[in-house]
Amino acid sequence: MSVIDTSPVTAAADPTPPRRRPRAVRGSRPGWFVYASLGVVLLAAIVPYYWALLIGSGDSSTIRNTDLSWIPGGNFFTNAAAVLNNPAVNFWAGLWNSIFSSTLIAASVVFFSTLAGWAFAKLRFRGGPWLLVFVVATMAVPTQLGVVPLYILFSEIGWTGQIGAIIVPALTSAFGVFWMTQYLRQAVPDELIEAARVDGASSFRTFLTVGVPAARPAAAMLGLFTFVTAWNNFFWPFIVLDRQNPTLPVALSLLQSNYFVDYSVVLAGVLLSTVPLLLLFVFAGKQLVSGIMQGAVKG
Amino acid sequence: MKSRALRRVALAAAVASTSALVLAGCSGGGGAAAGSSDEEITLTVATFNDFGYTEELLNAYTAEHPNVKIVHNRAAKSNDARANYFQKLGKTGLADIEGIEVDWLPEVMKYSDLLAPVPDDLKSRWLDWKVKAATDSSGNLVGYGTDIGPEAICYRSDLFEAAGLPTEPADVAAALQGDWSKYFEMGDKYVAATGKPFFDSASSVYQGMINQVEAAYENPDSGEITATTNPEVKKIYTETLDASKTQSAHFEQWSTDWYAGMANGAFATLSCPGWMLTQIEGNAPEVSGWKIADVFPNGGGNWGGSYLTVPANGPHVAEAQALADWLTSPEQQVKFFQQAGTFPSQVDALKSADLLGAKNAYFSDAPIGEIFTNRANAVSVTPFKGQYYFQVNDAMSKALLRVDQGTQDAQTSWDQWVSQVDAIG
Amino acid sequence: MTTTLQPPATPAASAPDGPPARTPRRVGFGSKLSAWDLKLSPYLYISPFFILFIVTGLFPILYTGVISFMDWDQIRGSGTFVGFDQYAYVLSQPAFWDALRNTFSIFVLSTVPQLLFAVFIAAMLDQNIRAKTLWRMGVLVPYVMAPVAVALIFSNMFGDQYGIVNTLLGRIGLPAVGWHSDTFASHIAIATMVNFRWTGYNTLILLAAMQAVPREYYEAATVDGAGKVRQFFSITLPSLKPTLIFVVITSTIGGLQIFDEPRMFDQGGTGGSNNQWLTISLYLYKLGWGEWNFGRAAALAWILFLIILVIGAVNLFISRSLVRDEGARDGLSRAQRRAASRAAKQRLAAESTGKGARS
Repeated sequence: MSVIDTSPVTAAADPTPPRRRPRAVRGSRPGWFVYASLGVVLLAAIVPYYWALLIGSGDSSTIRNTDLSWIPGGNFFTNAAAVLNNPAVNFWAGLWNSIFSSTLIAASVVFFSTLAGWAFAKLRFRGGPWLLVFVVATMAVPTQLGVVPLYILFSEIGWTGQIGAIIVPALTSAFGVFWMTQYLRQAVPDELIEAARVDGASSFRTFLTVGVPAARPAAAMLGLFTFVTAWNNFFWPFIVLDRQNPTLPVALSLLQSNYFVDYSVVLAGVLLSTVPLLLLFVFAGKQLVSGIMQGAVKG
Repeated sequence: MKSRALRRVALAAAVASTSALVLAGCSGGGGAAAGSSDEEITLTVATFNDFGYTEELLNAYTAEHPNVKIVHNRAAKSNDARANYFQKLGKTGLADIEGIEVDWLPEVMKYSDLLAPVPDDLKSRWLDWKVKAATDSSGNLVGYGTDIGPEAICYRSDLFEAAGLPTEPADVAAALQGDWSKYFEMGDKYVAATGKPFFDSASSVYQGMINQVEAAYENPDSGEITATTNPEVKKIYTETLDASKTQSAHFEQWSTDWYAGMANGAFATLSCPGWMLTQIEGNAPEVSGWKIADVFPNGGGNWGGSYLTVPANGPHVAEAQALADWLTSPEQQVKFFQQAGTFPSQVDALKSADLLGAKNAYFSDAPIGEIFTNRANAVSVTPFKGQYYFQVNDAMSKALLRVDQGTQDAQTSWDQWVSQVDAIG
Repeated sequence: MTTTLQPPATPAASAPDGPPARTPRRVGFGSKLSAWDLKLSPYLYISPFFILFIVTGLFPILYTGVISFMDWDQIRGSGTFVGFDQYAYVLSQPAFWDALRNTFSIFVLSTVPQLLFAVFIAAMLDQNIRAKTLWRMGVLVPYVMAPVAVALIFSNMFGDQYGIVNTLLGRIGLPAVGWHSDTFASHIAIATMVNFRWTGYNTLILLAAMQAVPREYYEAATVDGAGKVRQFFSITLPSLKPTLIFVVITSTIGGLQIFDEPRMFDQGGTGGSNNQWLTISLYLYKLGWGEWNFGRAAALAWILFLIILVIGAVNLFISRSLVRDEGARDGLSRAQRRAASRAAKQRLAAESTGKGARS
């Protein structure tokens, strides 16, 4: 029988870390069916990238080629160099702006969403349920038109062309709040909170010791999603920033700014811009898996 | 109003000296902008696609005006640039000089008071139909013309040969001299000989034809929409679709299939303004058979073209106008043409030796300067384009595409178009 | 000094068959500060969201609401009040009804398979597989791809005359499909684009939730002889209920607002020659940014909002009744009930020993 651990509370009083529960139930590993299905999924996910590599390593006519060979051509690095050296494309500025703004946005969204989600899920307060419905309802308002009044707002306060105009509107998200609410509802048993209260923990302390560890897997996932979404956002940055201070998608869009577009260079640019994200995945993925192991504290 | 007059006076000196230099045929940009001080200013120029403005060429201006720094911003697509333009017109955020496309003119004209007008003495610089399109009801010209798109016919000489048709540009031109029926007749011959389509899509042919009609969609005096009752529109619609049954390759222009068609011989001819040349060359680099015939049914037509506009509420309107003046001067435009294929709209540029001598190697050394100058001079009709033109035309392209792709028959598609047009405005 | 409160152990003892019910907590810490802490802290925690929302979210919403009743000239920033004219106009357009049809069709074609796949793949990923990171991050890789690349890839794949899909269909003897001319075919193509991008996203959300399900339930069920599939339907799905509701609602909202994929499906971005794949969001964009008629676009935005509210409520109702509540007594299988009671008893024991050690 595995060990039951009510560690978040005891951890406060007792410094020894919680014992990790073994994952496997008597060493059962999944069979071929699982791996086969996952293999198909992975293949479907990777093939388009490989196609992009095939085009990006060719020349301008490769994309029109109806019987494409499955072996990449030799031009990838030439095309990539063309992207980096293109004077109209401010690649490094775009890269830095994207990294900076996406990181800030992801961190902020995770923090504020977890906080709000905790309140909605586990704390009872007047108007709670209605406010949650309101939050969810705000997601139903289409955002395309929002660009217009938002631009008016930012130009009034003189923030056009500044990275702040990208960051500020995205600091919290209804999606994040809703997700953390649902996740925490399911992942944190109420007894843990009450036990913490009995120990005299304040509201915030309870949040830190019970909520945060329990929320970690979903919070990490939310951070990753938010980062990627912020990274790939095009239209708003296009409108509010200028070409000297772009984010990466806006900078790369300039590769398409000729009467004739060389898609091999465009796709090389796309692959280049995906590299930071893939690196993030590798790093975050490891954190996520271990986070999932530790964070699942059940009583 | 008063300040505009003042600015005009202040600019007169600069403009006068510029014009003098231009008329004398000297190269080199305009004189010093008399209205500006000697402080450092930065002028932003916003364009899209490729106007041909390179770092190098722009440096020629800054060399003569050391107090001016030019920042050139390019948007990738004209649609994005258009969204950006109208989003910010009349507010803050536009560049000192903004490029616009001729398709946007009907809407821009509604807000012409938000743009700084071009000085009157410059108006003779451009072809009159170019000027007319950008002149508002008070007589103000609000755009500095950059390029135009006079159309010729590009054809696949190798496919023509296989069909027993003439292959030399001069012969093809002679054969197509006349109106559209000549074009369709040749098309029939081609289809009979090879069984393959003659042109790319119904809408490209329609576009060529409708641009030769004086007032196709609207009444120039009242602005009312007359498209649905204009017999010429119906006639052109029917003619186009009749020919398209056998001669069209049924592509949607700008689709991936259409690009592929340039390379794989899916169609044998294409209406070619100057900027189409790079498209063909880029999409079909291995094909050697594309040539240009110095002809267009009914003489000539114009497809596309751009202007530079100067927002009236910018911080450096006078200096921006001076720069726009320089950028659209004949010598400069010829240089931009050599860079990007943007064919000049300036009268004097069309006489320039550099322009007339330009050749294009991909198209078998076709004398493109000569060809497009001839075509530009052959444009006889300036179609009137009022504020609803774009919408009506857009609905029409869709109507044509529906029939071309076989989704609907011609009559149903027409009826649907009529009901859509009736709902406009 | 009163220090203790009513032991929360009582509920556990009184309901051995299911997860303990909550009794109202009596605030008896004896200090005003903690009472205020409990009362006010929830509002404090949700305030950052609402403050930011009021600044950057509410203003656009109100603005859109106001101009939907006006004939609004965006460039001059002025307009005349026209009442419900803009709404009437939008509802009278055939394009609107085409857009409604298309939106629902694409919504069903994308959301349903997507959620089914997501649940299935998450269940696979929840297993004790090797190289976890690789598989888990692998499913999210499509989401990372830049929209321009997705557009290029899929428009090439689904080209009517030279696309890869039609070429393959031809090789196996099937006729070519008019992806850009036939309405339903275009919906399938677009739904494929949407599913490609978003399935991994939903999978990981569900996976995070699945990982939070207590393992003892599964262990107990295995002891009782329940197979993997049975465990999935009786344990996993009911425990996932809040997350499933979340996924259904966000997919509904997102699915009814689909914009990027239809726009990228062809060069014009206007939904096809006969509005074959024009969605409501795309039509909204066309009214606002194409025709510069922001009054009409705003009216359509609010119509869409109402549609989403209605459909969202319907979906919420459906998912709540379909997925068994983990708290409902008759929903639990014997295995789950036994596991729950065992777990509850152990929890109770741990807490009382813990408390005993501290006091």
